[in-house]
Amino acid sequence: MGYFEGFAVTLKKWGEGVTTKEYRAGKLDSKGEISPKDQKAPKPERAHGRHVLNRYEDGMEKCIGCELCAGVCPAKCIYVRGADNQPEDPTSPGERFGFVYEINYLRCIHCDLCVEACPTQAITETKLFEFSFTNREDAIYTKAELLVDNDGLPQHLPWEDWRPGEDEFTSGWMRATASSGKVQYENTVGWSGELGYGVRAPEMGQRHPGESPPDADTDQSGATSGEDQGSHH
Amino acid sequence: MPLSRPGLRPNSVTATNANETEAGIPFILNGKALLANSGEMLIDACERNGVHIPRFCYHPRMRPVGMCRMCLVEVDTGRGAGLQPSCMLTVSPEMVVNTESTETKQAQEGVLELTLINHPLDCPVCDKGGECPLQDNAYAYGPGESRFVEEKRHFEKPISISSLVQLDRERCILCDRCTRFADEVAGDPLIHFIDRGSQTQVNTFPDHPFSSYFSGNTVQICPVGALTASPYRFKARPWDLAETESTATVDSTGARIVLQSSQDRLVRVLGVDSDAVNWSWLSDKERFLHEATDSNDRLTEPLVRSADGLTPARWTHACELVGDALNVTASQIGVIGGSRLPLEGQYAWAKLLRGELGISNVDAQLGDGLPGEVMLGLPRATIAQACAPAGVVLILGADPKEELPSLYLRLRHAASQDGTKIIELTPRATGLSPNAAISAHPLPGQVGVVAAAIADGKLDAEVGGVAPGQLGAIAELLGSGAPVTVIVGRGNLAESASFTVDAIAALQRAVPEARFLSGLRRGNVHGALELGFAPGLAFGGGLSEDPGLDTAGILRAAANGEIETLLLLAADPLADFPNSELAADALKNVATVVAVDTFLTASTQQANVVLPAAMTGEVDGAFLNLEGRLSPLRAKVSAPGQARPDWMIAVEVSQSVGTPLDFGSIDDVRAGLAADVSVFGSLNWDLLGASGDGPLLEFNRTWEPQFGEPVVAPLPDGYGLRLIVDRKLWDLGTMVQQSESLRDLPEVAAVHLCRQDLEGLGVSEGDDVLVEWSNGSQSLQVRREVGLPRGVARIPFRLPGFNVGDLLSSEDLVAEIRVTVT
Repeated sequence: MGYFEGFAVTLKKWGEGVTTKEYRAGKLDSKGEISPKDQKAPKPERAHGRHVLNRYEDGMEKCIGCELCAGVCPAKCIYVRGADNQPEDPTSPGERFGFVYEINYLRCIHCDLCVEACPTQAITETKLFEFSFTNREDAIYTKAELLVDNDGLPQHLPWEDWRPGEDEFTSGWMRATASSGKVQYENTVGWSGELGYGVRAPEMGQRHPGESPPDADTDQSGATSGEDQGSHH
Repeated sequence: MPLSRPGLRPNSVTATNANETEAGIPFILNGKALLANSGEMLIDACERNGVHIPRFCYHPRMRPVGMCRMCLVEVDTGRGAGLQPSCMLTVSPEMVVNTESTETKQAQEGVLELTLINHPLDCPVCDKGGECPLQDNAYAYGPGESRFVEEKRHFEKPISISSLVQLDRERCILCDRCTRFADEVAGDPLIHFIDRGSQTQVNTFPDHPFSSYFSGNTVQICPVGALTASPYRFKARPWDLAETESTATVDSTGARIVLQSSQDRLVRVLGVDSDAVNWSWLSDKERFLHEATDSNDRLTEPLVRSADGLTPARWTHACELVGDALNVTASQIGVIGGSRLPLEGQYAWAKLLRGELGISNVDAQLGDGLPGEVMLGLPRATIAQACAPAGVVLILGADPKEELPSLYLRLRHAASQDGTKIIELTPRATGLSPNAAISAHPLPGQVGVVAAAIADGKLDAEVGGVAPGQLGAIAELLGSGAPVTVIVGRGNLAESASFTVDAIAALQRAVPEARFLSGLRRGNVHGALELGFAPGLAFGGGLSEDPGLDTAGILRAAANGEIETLLLLAADPLADFPNSELAADALKNVATVVAVDTFLTASTQQANVVLPAAMTGEVDGAFLNLEGRLSPLRAKVSAPGQARPDWMIAVEVSQSVGTPLDFGSIDDVRAGLAADVSVFGSLNWDLLGASGDGPLLEFNRTWEPQFGEPVVAPLPDGYGLRLIVDRKLWDLGTMVQQSESLRDLPEVAAVHLCRQDLEGLGVSEGDDVLVEWSNGSQSLQVRREVGLPRGVARIPFRLPGFNVGDLLSSEDLVAEIRVTVT
C-alpha cells in the first residue's frame, strides 16, 4: 500500500526547516512602521514592473491610441480605443488620442513588447510589482491609474507599495532597442525633456559589469535615431 | 477569346495577330514561357501567373491611367529592354518581361522614395495603418531609407469633403483612383485634382461637397489613408478586426460584403469583388447602414402592452399572448412584412402561418411593390444578362440610382462602356438618364398605354406624354434583335401598380423573348415571394387557389374591424405604407397587433406584443437577390439582449399556437425548406460556403402571369398636377434614422416641378407653395427638377418635413394635387 511511503516523505522533510521565505517588503511592524528588516531588496536595473502612461512637458498625453501595444501584446492584456482630439482642447498632439487604455495585470507577463512597439514612448514600465487585488476588476488598470500625474510622476495608488525614490526611472528607459529598430543605441540619450525627469543621462545598454562600452562614434545611425526618439513634440 | 472578366475592359481592343494562338498570347515572364489572354494587361497577366507587381493607381475595375509608376517593369518587345508601366501595357506576342531585374528593383525603390517624399508617415494615427498598400509596398519594395531631409508639404489635416468622407491631402499620393471612380464609375465627378506640380491636391469644387451615394468606395480603394470614412474614424485598427463574408440586405441587389467587427461590434463593411453582383462597389447605404445594428434603441426584450404601455415581459409569456392572438379564424388574421427576414426566418414563419394555420392574407410588400404572381411568373434575367455588352435594357419604373444603387453602377458601366442601350420608361429622369439611349417619361397612369402603343405599332401620335419620335425609337431598339432585358420596378407610389402590370403585358407582347429583372427593392423580398408572402402565391410554390388580401386589403379590412390579429413581420405600415390614414385606422381597429421587429417603429409602438428579432450581421442565413441568386448571410456579432433569430421566434410562437415546428437548428430549417418548397428542393446548401457568388436558383415555373384588361386612368382635371411619389436613397427609414452618420442625410420634403410649371405659377426655386389635395393641404418648398414632365409634380416618399403618405389613398388609380402660390 503505497501511501505510507508518501507519509514517510512528509515525515522526513518535517525537520528540514522552511526554504520558502515570506515576502516581507513593506510589512509594517506592531508600531505601524516599516521595520528596518523589511526594507526592499534593490531591484535589478531592468526589472519590469507595472506600466505608466507618460506625458510631454506641456502636460499633453503621449499616447495617441494607435493600439500597436495592444496588437503586439502576447498576453492580450491591453485594450485601447482611439478617439478624435478636440481641436480646441487636445489631449495629445495630433488628431488621435488614447480614449480608453486598460491593462489587465492578471494577464500581463511584463514582457515589455508594448514598450518596444510604442511609437511615442507613451507607455513605459516601472519597477513596481508590489501590488495586489481582491477582485478581477481591480486588476484592470485604466487610464486613470496608469497615467502619470501632473508632475510626470507615477501615481501612488493605495494598494501599491511605493517607497521614496522608487518612482524614478519610470519613463523611457527600458527599451531593449532604439525606436528605429537599431540595436546599437548605447550612450545616446533615449529620451529628453520628460515631464517629471527632464533630460536624463544616456543609458548604458545591455553589458556585463566591467565590459567596456562600445565607441559611440562607431554607429552613427544609432546615434541619430537616439535623437529621434525624443523629438515627437 | 473571352477576357478574364467579361465586359471589364472593352476599350482594350482585341488584337488579332499572326502569333496569337488559340490558347493565348505567348510571352516570357522572368524566363518562363506563359500565355496571356487577348487584350490582357501585363499587370493582370503577371498576377494570374503568380507574379505580383506592386501598384497604387491600377484598379482592375477601372480604366488604367499609369499615374503612380509603381508598376514599372523591364519589358523587351524586340527593341531592347526598357522600363514600362505594366498597367498600361497589353501583352503582345513574344514580349519578354523581367520583374526581378536590378533595373526593375531600382525603379521600384526610386518610385517609392519619391512617393514617400511628401507622405507624412503618421501611420500610428492613420486609419489605414496596418492595411495600407503604401506601407506594404514600402516594406516589400522600398529602399528602406530616405535621403529627403527637407520639410514636407503641409495641408490642413483632415477636411470633410462630405458628411461621410474625410480627406487628408498630406497623405495623398495622387494616384487618381478616387477621382477616376467618381467620374468613371459613379458618374458624380465631384472631386478632382486642383493646382499643379508639387502643389497638386485632390479636392472638391468650392461649395460642392462630395455628396455622392457612392462616396464610401473611394475610401475603400484609396491606397493610402488620404480618404477615410467618418463613421469608421478611429473605431478600430485592422489587426483587431474579425471579418466574415456576407450579403448586404439593404436592398434586393444583394451586394456581397465583408462584415468587420471589433469587440463584438460591427465597425466596418467593405465591398467584395463579386463578378456576378457588385464588382466590389457599394452604395453608402450598404456600406454604413450597419451602424443601426449597434444602436442603443434596439429592442432587447419582449414587450407586452399593459396599463403602463409597453412593458418588458418574458419570452414565454409574450409568445403565449401571440399564440392566443393567432388562435382565431385564419381569415381574421393579416400578416404584413417579411422581406427583412433571412430566408430561413421567412420559411419558418411561412410554414407556421401558411402551412399550419392556413392564413392567406399575407403580403411582404407594403403597397409599394408589384403583384408577386406577375413578378415570379416572368422569364427572368440575371444582372450579368442585363448588363451584357450590346444588349438593350428597358427600365420600367423606378430610378435604380435611388432604389438599387449597386445595380445602378453595373447598368451605368454597361451603358457608358459596354455599348448597352438603355431605354427609360420612367416617370421622370433618373440617374441613368445621361447614359440612356432614350429617356421617355410617360405621365402618371399612362405607362401601360405607352407600352401598348409600342407593342401595337401605333407610333405616329403622342401617347401619354411620349412623343411619336421617341415611341418609334423605342420600338426600333426593341426590335433591333439585340437581347432585351426589362427591369421592372415601381416608379410611382401615387399611381396604381396595375399600370406597370399593363406595361409588362404590353412589353411581353412587343418583345416575346424579352427577359425581366425584378426591380422590387425591399431587402429579401424575392425570398419572401418564393415562400408565398404574397396573396396570390401558395406556400411551397405555385399560385394560390384562394388568394388572400394584399397589404392594402388587409389594412382596409382591419379598418373595417374584419381583422382580429395583425402580425407585422418587421413592417411599419404607419410610416411605410403609402396611405397613412388607412394604416392608422387599421392599427386602431385591430384587436391585437403583434410586431416582430428590431426597433420600436411608429407601428411597433402601437403593438400589443413586440418580439425582438436579431438582424443582419447577427444571424446566419440565406438571402435571395433580385436575379434569384442565393447568397449567404453570416453572423459576426451577437444579438443584443434577448433578441433572437426570426426562425427561432417562429418556432417559439408555433409551440404556443399548438402546432409546434420541429426545428432545432438552422440545418433543420433548411431541410424543411428543401422538402416543402420545390425551388429549394435540389439546392446544395454547401454552395453557400466560404466564398463565391452563391448559386443561381433554377425556377421552373408552371404558370405564366395572367394579365387582365388594361386599366384606364381617369382624365386629368385640368387644374391639378399629376403626382409622382417615389423613393430617395436617404429617407426616414428606420435603419437610416438609427445610423448616426446617415441620420441627417435625407433632404427636406419639397414639391418638385419642371421649369415651365414653375414659370406658370410665377414662383422660383425655394419659394413656399401650398399643396392641396382632396382633404388637406400643406405648405412646401418648391424645387425645380430637370427631366420632370410638364403637368407633373413630384414629392418623394418618407422625407422629413412632410409625410406624403398623408395625401395618398390606395383606392385611387392616380393622385392629383393642386399647387398654388401662398
